[in-house]
Amino acid sequence: MSESSGNGGKWLDAHYDPVAGLFTFSPCVDLADLSGDGESRLVVGDLGSGSTGMKLKVFRGTALLSESTLLDLPAGLVAFFMDLHEPRIPAVAVASGPCVYVYKNLRPYFKFTLPGLEVNSLEQDVWQQAREGQIDPLTLKEMLESIRKKADVPLSMRSLRFLSLETDDMDDFVQLHKQQPIRRQTVITCIGTLKKSTADDDGVSCLVIGTESSDVYVLDPEAFVILSKMSLPAAPTMMDVTGQFDVEFRITVACRDGNIYVLRRELDKPKYCIKLSSHPVGLVRVGKNVMVGCTDESLQGFTQKGKKLWRTVLAAPITTMAAMDLPTRGFQAVLVGLANCEVQLYRDKNLLSTIKTPDVVTSICFGRYGREDGTLIMTTKGGGLMVKILKRTAVFDDRDGAPGPPLAQSVRLNVPKKTKLYVDQTLRERENGLAMHRAFQMDLSRMRLTAAKAYVKALESSLAPVSSSISEPLKMNAVVQGLGPSFKLTLNVQNTAACRPATNLAISFLYDEGLYRMRNPYMRIPLLVPGLVYPVETSVECTSDKGISDIIKVFVLHEGRSCPLLTAHINMPVSEGEMLN
Amino acid sequence: MEVTMDPLFLAWSYLRRRKLQQCSDICSKILQDSPYDQAAWSLKTRALTEMVYVDEVEVDQEGIAEMMLDESSIAQVARPGTSLRLPGTSQGGGPTPAVRPMTQSGRPITGFVRPNTQSGRPGTMEQAIKTPRTASTARPVTSASGRFIRLGTASMLTNPDGPFINLSRLNLAKYSKKPNMSRTLFEFIFHHENDVKNALDLAAQATEHAQFKDWWWKVQLGKCYYRLGLYREAEKQFRSALNHQEVVDTFLYLAKVYQRLDQPITALNLFKQGLDHFPGEVTLLTGIARIHEEMNNISSATEYYKDVLKQDNTHVEAIACIGSNHFYTDQPEIALRFYRRLLQMGVYNCQLYNNLGLCCFYAQQYDMTLSSFERALTLANNDEEQADVWYNIGHVGVGIGDLTLAYQCFKLALAFNNDHAEAYNNLAVLELRKGRIEQSKAFLQTAASLAPHMYEPHFNLSILSEKIGDLQSSYTAAQKSEDAFPEHVDTQQLLKQLRQHFAVL
Repeated sequence: MSESSGNGGKWLDAHYDPVAGLFTFSPCVDLADLSGDGESRLVVGDLGSGSTGMKLKVFRGTALLSESTLLDLPAGLVAFFMDLHEPRIPAVAVASGPCVYVYKNLRPYFKFTLPGLEVNSLEQDVWQQAREGQIDPLTLKEMLESIRKKADVPLSMRSLRFLSLETDDMDDFVQLHKQQPIRRQTVITCIGTLKKSTADDDGVSCLVIGTESSDVYVLDPEAFVILSKMSLPAAPTMMDVTGQFDVEFRITVACRDGNIYVLRRELDKPKYCIKLSSHPVGLVRVGKNVMVGCTDESLQGFTQKGKKLWRTVLAAPITTMAAMDLPTRGFQAVLVGLANCEVQLYRDKNLLSTIKTPDVVTSICFGRYGREDGTLIMTTKGGGLMVKILKRTAVFDDRDGAPGPPLAQSVRLNVPKKTKLYVDQTLRERENGLAMHRAFQMDLSRMRLTAAKAYVKALESSLAPVSSSISEPLKMNAVVQGLGPSFKLTLNVQNTAACRPATNLAISFLYDEGLYRMRNPYMRIPLLVPGLVYPVETSVECTSDKGISDIIKVFVLHEGRSCPLLTAHINMPVSEGEMLN
Repeated sequence: MEVTMDPLFLAWSYLRRRKLQQCSDICSKILQDSPYDQAAWSLKTRALTEMVYVDEVEVDQEGIAEMMLDESSIAQVARPGTSLRLPGTSQGGGPTPAVRPMTQSGRPITGFVRPNTQSGRPGTMEQAIKTPRTASTARPVTSASGRFIRLGTASMLTNPDGPFINLSRLNLAKYSKKPNMSRTLFEFIFHHENDVKNALDLAAQATEHAQFKDWWWKVQLGKCYYRLGLYREAEKQFRSALNHQEVVDTFLYLAKVYQRLDQPITALNLFKQGLDHFPGEVTLLTGIARIHEEMNNISSATEYYKDVLKQDNTHVEAIACIGSNHFYTDQPEIALRFYRRLLQMGVYNCQLYNNLGLCCFYAQQYDMTLSSFERALTLANNDEEQADVWYNIGHVGVGIGDLTLAYQCFKLALAFNNDHAEAYNNLAVLELRKGRIEQSKAFLQTAASLAPHMYEPHFNLSILSEKIGDLQSSYTAAQKSEDAFPEHVDTQQLLKQLRQHFAVL
């Protein structure tokens, strides 16, 4: 990469391992000083293959430091300070399924499970009856169905699973599960941290959890009790948290209904709502503004109160987004990973620099890694791990979108000049306009007659491969494949009527029997459904070795009518095959 | 008293007057009387060779085997502007396919039909074995069979009592030592009998006898190697022959080898080297122009064709190519000039009148337009030509707004040529105007399957699907259109619009 291209001069390539086997997304990546020695580690919740091999991995430098198995797919991962003990070592919280697993010193420390949701009382009664053997599985199914249709509280997972079973398996299922009480559980969709009372970097943080049941919980870091619960109109997918829990905070949540909600302290309903034109794929707060990447390949900026500031169109769909914050330089921007193997750096709507990557980037994390403050860590779609370090000399100059007329405006179009000949001809046209017009009109009438005659002739003998008759609008085209002596003849027949199928059709061929042999010279066509192309195949064999060819005529016939509906002439190619041996 | 001419002299005279059959008959008679008459024998071989002689320099048809199983190319993905194989590596700023139609291989169609211009390299095996639309034969399996076999069988048919020379009984070593006979014998074996292996044997022994100093034998060796597909060996022989003696033919053969090896730049350099020795040589200039044309560099191709015309002002290929280039760069009145020149030179066929008609129409000389087409119709030899004429009349119909005429003409084009993809496409547009959506869609699908290299059917299908709300089909069709013509702005806009549509909530 040349220095002048804009990104080569700004980043040092520290490490690239294309086969690191790291499959993850931005919410599952974090940087933290896990041992208190001032050196940051990379903590990654690896999704593995999506069903197996989920792991919590910790990297130090270029090496894998530790690895522990996760039970379920991680939905998010954060490092946070949970107490005031010295040395200051953060804990790692991994959200997966309905639980938050907290690791301290890379050992499992605590597991927090979300409170169960309210269970439908009718459902509970029904299962109670089933346990006591009062109703058989079929009745149980009927009753559950009726509850599902009417009740406000949705059914539990167990009932839903039961309803989807085949009749044979129901009995076993009921026997297996009827003893356990019914629980309704939700899952975590996103996780964040919120400082408890101080804004210090190493202040104690609360966990903020968004769930599938459209709730947002704030957890106390020491006792793991729910400090606050807020509800949203839809399930949250991404969140950004700022402020302190005890003072004032603001949780910006992107939801699955395509809206962004802003939650504030002491309100259990969202304060502001931003309606997007398409689904959000990335949410990053820069300063007091929110930048949202959408599926319509755009990046949009909003104020805290939901006022739209700007919108830029990107070159490709967004894969991931992350904030780039360099407090030492007072630099804040957003990194956007694109599907065309680029990572772009935006400050507001201005593109500052572009990093080309060898693969599509799926997660980005910027921060302190090791002892280096400005480190960019990316993982790729193919499981690669890439580490880049921001050069201390790098300067990002803010170019505003070029004002003035676009460049294309000054490009001269290559319009050919009108030649002298053309001018002469227009002169002739001007002088002899009347005669020319008359000649043309006469020729035109004659041509119309010729065309009409030829057309009628073609129609009468059904020469055309297209029939536009009202009763049977058909179309056929033929393809010859092969080198000979055997050719494959494919006739594509299509019924072009709007809704009426064509029936009772047949195909026959007319050919020189001394030259060609055909496997089945008469074929019946099945019922033709309108709009579909029916390929009818047959094979033709050339029996002559003289190197001559002929025309084969194809007729589409209707049963009981002597005149063909349409005809196609196939110019057979010269057979080459005989000469090969 | 009648003076009888010496039969051998008479035969020779017949040969010079190209009455080859008579010449061969007389020689046969002489040989019956004295079977060892070497002069008569040699003369007869010459006559028989001349009967089937095709200039090796010109005709070259690539067979399927050469194209699909090519091992001699160096880079599979060549850099733009260095390969004949990559379509769309335009650098000369030629017209876009929106203005000038493309062939299957992604090159603008030329003004002159010659082997290689028509179909180019098909992308897939399926395309390769499909019969091309305008050529009425399928592609030969290899260039070693194809045309040459056909020539061979033609000579078999004319000789009912067996071959003139039985090659298997020939003592090649003996003949190779007789320079006055070996050359005619070689040409006979090579051209008439098509037995490249024996010809190679003879040439190898003869060149050895000449102590590797005879350029002619080296060229013949090269020709044999070329025919056998041993291009590197052929190159060596031609190079060595050029060291002995610079001959235009040798330059042409060598350039042919380089083109086959997909090294157009080397071929161009070679032609230029040839031009240093033979300034203004028409065949060399034409060769350069053709390579430029094949590499999509139309403007330099036109420059070289103009050079050709300065040397030889009756060169049909040059006139036709310049003419078509003018036509497609929006100067039909100049194209008309060139085509009229062809007419003056005595070219009198359907294609020429077809072009004249179109040029007249677009140059607004309406009084000549339709009469040209009428004449083209009467001159049409086969159905394909007739289909093309009707197709062009259909264009005139569209141009003057007479859609009934246009509709009839496009249908006629289809009646004469069932695979006329352009006619299908235009017919579909007319059907759509009449509101018959199903028909229109069917025609567009057919056109797209017949000519996947054309962007128009894909684009039209995309618009149609978009209008009836079938966005998924519209998107796939638009993508195909983009593949065929990446710079097409309308397709880009449609794709953008569709993508936006898919992204909106």
